[in-house]
Amino acid sequence: MKKLLAIVLCLAMMLPVLALAEGDGRVHITYSFWGNQTEAESVQKALDAYNQMQDKVFVEPMQIPNEQYTETLVNYAIADQLPDCGMVNENSVLYFARNGVMADVSDMYAGEKLQPMDCITFKDGGTPVGYSSSNEILILYYNKDMFDAANEPYPSADKPYTWDEFVEVAKRLTFDENGKHPGEEGFNPEKIVQYGAFVNNWTWQMEVWALSNGGAWFSQDGKECLINSPEAIESIQKVADLALVEHVAPLNVIPEDNGVGVGIGSKTVAMTTDGTWRLGTDFPNLDINYGIAPLPMMREEVTICTSGLTGVFKGKHQQEAYDFVKWYTREESNWDALVLTGIWLPKSEYFYKTEEGINEWLGNEKYPYNKDFETGRKVLVDYTMNYAKPTCWYFTPNTQVTTNEILFTALQSVWSGERTAEDVINEIYPELCEAIVVE
Amino acid sequence: MSVETMKVSRGGHLASKSRREKTADILCFLLLILLGLIVLFPIYWIFRSSLMSNGELYAYPPAFVPPAWRLENYSETLKSFEYLKFLGNTMTILLPAVFGAVVTATMGGYAFARLRFRGKKLLFTLCVGSMLLPSMVTLIPLFIGWSKLGLVNTYWPLILPHFCGGGAFNIFLIRQFVKTVPRELDEAATIDGCGYFRILVYIIVPAIKAAMIVVGLLKFIELWNDLLQQVTYITRRDRYTLALGLNIFRGSFNDDWSSIMCATCLSFIPGIVFYLIGQRYFVEGIVMTGMKN
Amino acid sequence: MTAISRKKRIRYNRSETQAAWLCLLPSVIGLTCITYLPMIASFALSLFSWNGLGDMKYIGLENYIRLFTRDTKFYGSLLTTLEYAGISVIGSIIYSMIIAMLLNRKVPARGFFRAVFYLPYVLPALAVYLGWKWLYDYNHGLFNYLIKLGGGTSVKFLDSSAMVTPSLALIAVWLSGNLIVIFLAGLQNVPRTYHEAAEIDGANAWQRFWKITIPCMTPIIFYNLLMSLVSNLQVITPALSLTQGGPGTGSYFMCFMLYTQAFKSHKYGYGSAIAVILFLIIAVFTGILFATSKSWIFYEGDDKE
Repeated sequence: MKKLLAIVLCLAMMLPVLALAEGDGRVHITYSFWGNQTEAESVQKALDAYNQMQDKVFVEPMQIPNEQYTETLVNYAIADQLPDCGMVNENSVLYFARNGVMADVSDMYAGEKLQPMDCITFKDGGTPVGYSSSNEILILYYNKDMFDAANEPYPSADKPYTWDEFVEVAKRLTFDENGKHPGEEGFNPEKIVQYGAFVNNWTWQMEVWALSNGGAWFSQDGKECLINSPEAIESIQKVADLALVEHVAPLNVIPEDNGVGVGIGSKTVAMTTDGTWRLGTDFPNLDINYGIAPLPMMREEVTICTSGLTGVFKGKHQQEAYDFVKWYTREESNWDALVLTGIWLPKSEYFYKTEEGINEWLGNEKYPYNKDFETGRKVLVDYTMNYAKPTCWYFTPNTQVTTNEILFTALQSVWSGERTAEDVINEIYPELCEAIVVE
Repeated sequence: MSVETMKVSRGGHLASKSRREKTADILCFLLLILLGLIVLFPIYWIFRSSLMSNGELYAYPPAFVPPAWRLENYSETLKSFEYLKFLGNTMTILLPAVFGAVVTATMGGYAFARLRFRGKKLLFTLCVGSMLLPSMVTLIPLFIGWSKLGLVNTYWPLILPHFCGGGAFNIFLIRQFVKTVPRELDEAATIDGCGYFRILVYIIVPAIKAAMIVVGLLKFIELWNDLLQQVTYITRRDRYTLALGLNIFRGSFNDDWSSIMCATCLSFIPGIVFYLIGQRYFVEGIVMTGMKN
Repeated sequence: MTAISRKKRIRYNRSETQAAWLCLLPSVIGLTCITYLPMIASFALSLFSWNGLGDMKYIGLENYIRLFTRDTKFYGSLLTTLEYAGISVIGSIIYSMIIAMLLNRKVPARGFFRAVFYLPYVLPALAVYLGWKWLYDYNHGLFNYLIKLGGGTSVKFLDSSAMVTPSLALIAVWLSGNLIVIFLAGLQNVPRTYHEAAEIDGANAWQRFWKITIPCMTPIIFYNLLMSLVSNLQVITPALSLTQGGPGTGSYFMCFMLYTQAFKSHKYGYGSAIAVILFLIIAVFTGILFATSKSWIFYEGDDKE
């Protein structure tokens, strides 16, 4: 009897689920995104604003966990249930675009004052197919207190470290439980208390080191795989050797952790490379005195830029979705929630090339890195303008296979020290070449 | 109660119960304590991690006891982890699904174990065969099917399949247990004029109650962990389950380990409660077997 | 063969058949609509090249040829899966049988201990693996700290292709509370009269274990063996939540490979081909288990003649 009651209750609980959306005369469209609670709240705020400022369209959020985002979206596409618009992971933009799922947005900014930068424009064979919603570049973060404790001058915002300098500084900042540094007599790599450096080895971030060493992963037309060049291979090995040979970095075989939360936030690592979004997502929650600088360079000064895209999917509400995305991806619409919090760098040239533009965000007192305007300007603005190159997924097809799968798995053996970069890359090179061919 | 029965029966039969048996019991007890500590340790370690700051988590050497008991981690975590809501949603799916699975698996297992009919062997082979298939293989065809029925973004695709036999594993488990029930019992009932369903309800079900509870528990855990299906069918936050909530909680920047550990500990609770409830029925099941023999 | 089946056919009874089909109706619907039709669809897909969004292209056996001849990770993945399944099946059967035997004795606080050993299983698997990270981690993990404290050198539990499979299998053993419960339920179904009779006949505990407990438990052992073999061959959660398949192919389980190829790389046809192979592998092992089962399983209420 009790059981029966439980069942009836359960069924009753499900009824509201079955209730259909109320008819209010507006066109209901769906916007899909990934993110945690904080991100969901800021998305909801933006949607509320849009829903209030006009009465024709009502945008509903669709939240999908980050790790299953793209595959869930593809499932929906296969079942013909795609949302009307939504975030698209960088590695899948060209995949969606090429298969005719995304609407053409190349004229979205025609004639506008705010033009998105070229380096965050997704191109399929040279034709623009979409623009990232923001910009992010890779920079070097460091913990000032740890530098002070070692009597080490801070990394310069004007002149980046050469790789050798970087390793040397990192050695001076690394010590074991007896206070010995790597290379010193009696140094015990098994009992390191503090590491000097952590280079984020997420697969896509590794591309910057190939560029920095004078090589590349893929040709600019996205048709050729260049990762087997000595420069590209050497760059991977150099990063791996920070942990394996120099003992200045923690071993990170499953590239999941990052040096901000794990390292300089918990004072176990003095400096780390990572993306600029950390300014907004991590540092405000970390009670530390940090600084920023350009990435160290192997041969050339370079960083890479990237950011997710908000796509318009083909469907019967395509026009409404287009209008919403155009509104939503303006810096202005996300100004408080994403730009001033430091999570997004602006995507339009205006905010990098004009004094007023720069002052609007970097000069704003709410911006997390406004305490040191000059450094911020050099590392965030000038660095983007002068040295940022697009990540390979802006112009190479099938990066969901190449960087996400083939390289990701293969490089784990390099990080663990079981195999050399040369060995691994040569083994997977034919697979990579095959993977970027599209018929 | 059960222990009591056991004592009486054993004591009655063998008054000269040897001292060796007692020593063995003590040894077993000590062994259980030792193994229990080993088994519990990882759980303690997770719990300890939930009470530390991220900085403390990464410190060297690791702390065995949290340096400061940061209970506020939990209140922080609960701010963004809508525990009760996610729990309610989870239960809305789990309770009917578990019930459906137990009932239909018992029926199926009984038929396979006891009843004779044409095509049994083939059907049983097909049933066992379905276990060999990773569930993700059928994900896309099923998804297309449910979306054609217009049921995506409802809980039905997560509930209804469990009313269809409750999974081959469970049918099979019940079958194995029904087979351990002496056949004379239902033969006697047949002579008393019982039909097949009455035998199922009055003879078989009481005898395999423990197994049914086990099926319920297995199903509960299976659904609890079935992130793949839940991700596919539920995309609205107000309908999220705990598994999804935990996953979302890791978010796109998954480095707040102490909060993840808090959410993890919180998500442990329902499983433990469900187990403790099931445990009570276990004891009953033991009493039943005790009387039977 | 024919003689037996003819003999059986005579015994089919109409009301029994009706009752059976009624009981099995939900299962038949389930097997048809939820398992076999989608499965056939998926298997047909293995003959196509399909990226999910574009057109399907019939390519015959090309996916299989590629898998066996050109895929650099396939054999590694196969070996890893077998190694993992081997260690965790044997480990968890032995472990859970021992625990169940201990718990079936007259020990104080049995309910408490039962809860303790079952506890790992009722925890969300994903969360559990995340928790174990803090034990296995190379830099910050407890195990390595203890090893270093004892003067040893750090072990790459999850960070070397040789260690990662056994390390993950150990977690699987730890998680095998479900087997314990099933064993326990089985032990409690062993008629006590048998034990008592044997005791009166002077059989010692060891003899009773081998001559009574084990034979009575064979249906349950068989079930546990089968269940843990099938589920461990389909392992994916540790790779998804902890190791992402590496290093090398150290945790690149076949199910993970299937998932990655189909859902992450959008090679649905290729993923389906992997599913077919995985299905066949599991079928072979299950077949072996079933084929040998007749000779060692003892059914008390069996309908064997």
